[in-house]
Amino acid sequence: MTEQAPVSQNTEQVAAQPAVAQMKDDSYLLEVNNLKMYFSITSGIFARVKGFTKAADDVSFFIRKGETLGLVGESGCGKTTIGRCIARAYEPTAGEILYRLADDSVVDLAQLKGKDVRPYRKDIRMIFQDPYSSLNPRMTVFELVSEVLKVNNLVRPAQMKDRVEYMLERVGLRPEYMQRYPHAFSGGERQRIGIARSLITDPRLVICDEAVSALDVSIRAQILNLLEELQADFDLTYLFISHDLSVIRHICDRIVVMYVGKVVEVANGLELYTHPKHPYTEALMSAVPISNPRVRNRESRIRLHGEVADPSNPPSGCYFHPRCQYAQDICASDEPALRELDGNRFVACHFAEELDLRGAAMED
Amino acid sequence: MSETLIKVTDLKIHFFTDEGVVRAVDGSDLTVERGRTLSLVGESGCGKSVACRSLLQIVHSPGKIVSGEIMYHRSMGNGLDEVIDIAQLDPKGKQIRNIRGKEISMIFQEPMTSLSPMYTVGNQIVENIQLHTDKTKKEAHALAIELLDKVGIPKPGRLVDEYPFRLSGGMRQRAMIAMALSCNPNMLIADEPTTALDVTTQANILDLMLDLQRQYGMALLFITHDLGVVAEIADDVAVMYLGKIVEKSDVDTIFNNPQHPYTQALLRSIPKVATRREELDPIKGMVPNPYRRPEGCPFHPRCAKAFSECRTIVPSVTHLGENHTVQCLLYEDLSDKKSMEQSL
Amino acid sequence: MTQAVSPETQSVDLTPKLDHEDVERVKVDVASQWQLMWWKFKRHKMAMVGGVVVIAYYLVALFANFFAPVHFQTYRAEYVYAPPQRIRLFLDGKFTPYVLGYTFERDPVSFKKTWAIDESVVIPVGFLQHGEAYKLWGIIPGDLHLIGPKNADDPFYLLGSDKSGRDVFSRIIYSSRISLTVGLVGVVISLGLGILIGGLSGLVGGLLDNLIQRLIEILISIPTLPFWLALAAAVPLDWSPLQVYFMITIILSLIGWTGLGRVVRSKFLALREEDFILAATLDGVPRGRMILRHMIPSFLSHIIASVTLAIPGMILGETALSYLGLGLRPPVVSWGVMLQETQKVTVIAIYPWILFPALAVIIVVLALNFLGDGLRDAADPY
Repeated sequence: MTEQAPVSQNTEQVAAQPAVAQMKDDSYLLEVNNLKMYFSITSGIFARVKGFTKAADDVSFFIRKGETLGLVGESGCGKTTIGRCIARAYEPTAGEILYRLADDSVVDLAQLKGKDVRPYRKDIRMIFQDPYSSLNPRMTVFELVSEVLKVNNLVRPAQMKDRVEYMLERVGLRPEYMQRYPHAFSGGERQRIGIARSLITDPRLVICDEAVSALDVSIRAQILNLLEELQADFDLTYLFISHDLSVIRHICDRIVVMYVGKVVEVANGLELYTHPKHPYTEALMSAVPISNPRVRNRESRIRLHGEVADPSNPPSGCYFHPRCQYAQDICASDEPALRELDGNRFVACHFAEELDLRGAAMED
Repeated sequence: MSETLIKVTDLKIHFFTDEGVVRAVDGSDLTVERGRTLSLVGESGCGKSVACRSLLQIVHSPGKIVSGEIMYHRSMGNGLDEVIDIAQLDPKGKQIRNIRGKEISMIFQEPMTSLSPMYTVGNQIVENIQLHTDKTKKEAHALAIELLDKVGIPKPGRLVDEYPFRLSGGMRQRAMIAMALSCNPNMLIADEPTTALDVTTQANILDLMLDLQRQYGMALLFITHDLGVVAEIADDVAVMYLGKIVEKSDVDTIFNNPQHPYTQALLRSIPKVATRREELDPIKGMVPNPYRRPEGCPFHPRCAKAFSECRTIVPSVTHLGENHTVQCLLYEDLSDKKSMEQSL
Repeated sequence: MTQAVSPETQSVDLTPKLDHEDVERVKVDVASQWQLMWWKFKRHKMAMVGGVVVIAYYLVALFANFFAPVHFQTYRAEYVYAPPQRIRLFLDGKFTPYVLGYTFERDPVSFKKTWAIDESVVIPVGFLQHGEAYKLWGIIPGDLHLIGPKNADDPFYLLGSDKSGRDVFSRIIYSSRISLTVGLVGVVISLGLGILIGGLSGLVGGLLDNLIQRLIEILISIPTLPFWLALAAAVPLDWSPLQVYFMITIILSLIGWTGLGRVVRSKFLALREEDFILAATLDGVPRGRMILRHMIPSFLSHIIASVTLAIPGMILGETALSYLGLGLRPPVVSWGVMLQETQKVTVIAIYPWILFPALAVIIVVLALNFLGDGLRDAADPY
């Protein structure tokens, strides 16, 4: 993490841009405020809107420059949706996505329309989960990696080849393989190609959407190490989305826990695992299988009853209350706000201060 | 009644494709004991799924069991066992069909596709019951509701008449388990049953399976690539790589005293929740192309402890203790082999 | 039991030759989708046969003047409804291709001439024979024919003659020009419409997609034959054969595009959800390039297969229309036009060789189907 001397707030308005917002802190690279992403549910011949799936509902968090922020949760929690909103694959329904540019000015990505997003695409890149479906099988490695450079005129055609060669080497692939097609490579190698593609524009923020989940166990470690190495070399900030708590623990500095479209807790890495403050986090930690047969915690495991709530028809009040063993009346009627407890800790629970929750079982 | 339920000896399953022969299972031994859980661990392409499918003669073409024995010890009630070699049974024949679903059941990874969308959950369970017992439809239906309740499905009386698409992933997996247990099998084969589920659901399903195993006294053969899951539920562990069982022992030994370099490397390469964040120790290289297997020991190109003989000599099974086998030249006495080579 | 050799003393490099260096592997690695398609296609034997037959047909159509002994309008009134002459190759042990001549009998009551093969008349036949003059494609003059009688005055009817004394064999060959190209032109128009409308439907989605799909459903629920007949009947009688020709192709494409349109739409819909398309979107690829460079190559092979399977429909359509007298008309010749003469059962009963055009149609339609099948199977080599 880099230390920054306080910089005077940039409050000048650039003529044709929407009002420039300010971030809460100079060390933030990205600040998400009250982000909502609703998908309409339609039915009938005329596609009448019946309701909404609230994939992301009033989500707020920040990412500091140079850190790796983890976004964790189970299926339907909205983590992938958030990642795609930030990358502007979708236009958010509401909210702010404040992004700090290299010159310290701040732009709200959520407000941009259509072509206006283009200039920022090189700064915020994404690595996908499935190494098989994320590479167009009919393009060569060179074409795949250089496409972004080509369509944005980032590099002169004469230098394109060198740039691609350099990047392929950095991710551990032989540059001679540029003319080959993806079907020539294994899962791990394809993921490396994907990483090369995302880093070729010299981005500042990289969103890793379950980047190692589809890889074999022994390859996962290789790719995780590579990601960490590249982060140091290229001065990158990562938003690491995953459902795998051990991977998150390994690579992330801070972690955001999501449940059915809402942020329920934000904490530093170790803190989250040893002293969770939200009952859902506690249940998650309790459910993670531990790689030590001597520490089997079956009896003491918290068993969550019921199913994950339906994002198109969520419960009243706190979404987690029907499954929470600590729930009280207020939980069914009042939705808890995401409150700051101290420094880096945020929790959305009425009883965050009172509850004394158990952390994950440690292995040794 | 012997302790051994299934004993697999030198099983070889080959896939005959246009591009060549893939030795998916290349001489593996396995033993499943009554009432115990054996976990078969390995990465994609190691042959664990294929090996388990052969126990029920459902290996898909172009795969074929080429050689080996799968000895199934069926208890006959009077303390004696009838021993049947499943490898010799006709995959379409009556004998194996009597075993499938009744004495040995299997559940799969994708509950979406393993339950038929055309019939209700109840129908599918009832079908299995009626195939193997002579219960009436009414009795079978009542039994189905009982089973759904046992596997933790809420409102089983109502859900029994629902179609699978109305259930979530976790519920479907429970329904599958109910179906698998409907005839009190001696063994349940579970092929990555929780890989596609959320971690909280996974925990619930694992607990359920262990509870049921204890209640029914059945053996559990659990395939997975997740070492955490293995540590949670296994009694014994067999580690597979490229069609061979490279190490086999009880779960404690595998995790705390692994002897095969692959097992050791695997344990070192996984991120753990509690450990300090340090660089992971990956296994170098990649799983080789199945059409071009390495000569000698299949793991040697990626092995940190390989030496020159590993390139040419295929390791045989070495017994390191009462319940610990390993296939590695580090533990073999090579003097016989060497002199054999020289004399050739 | 442990080995005495310490692993640390190894000095041998045990990393095997990288898989990627393998020469065989490299061929596959750099293979584009077309290469992979070709390799897969080659394994489908029937498709290869179909392909060869189709190519042969089009070659014959291209060089019709050379392959046909005479022009399609050439007639000899004295040889009306002459039966086919079989080629024999050996005369008295020597290789001399020949056919047998004709005698005729006149029915005393109706004065109708009936031809019969006369074993005693030998007509020598030659390959690469000089015969009737022609102008290839209207510009290159020539008179070389693949096969013909050595004596230009001798009758030479390999598949018999029709009611005007015209050579059926030559007419079948010249017909292929029309019948095979109606298929092509019609399919190109269908393809254009299909891609445009299907593409709009799949890419834009929403209300437009809804409307277009309902339109397609209405179009395909119209019974085709009556619809074609109605449209064909509306073509003015005084139009030239060429104008009629084009009108027919347009009519055939008006419904033909729907099949391709649906295929294109479903491909676009499926592609929209693919990760690699999302990756291209995040790269900032503009819409036009996305469609041309990223999406279309993905289903081009499917389109080719669909198109190949659509051609037989066109051929059969034209044949049907012309057979019913509502398509092309004499003097233009096509297989359908030739088959017009077969409407009377009595004629077929006595002169069955005028059915040969049907055989030509069947063979090419079958061949195209096999070819299209093979292409479709090979279309996704991944």
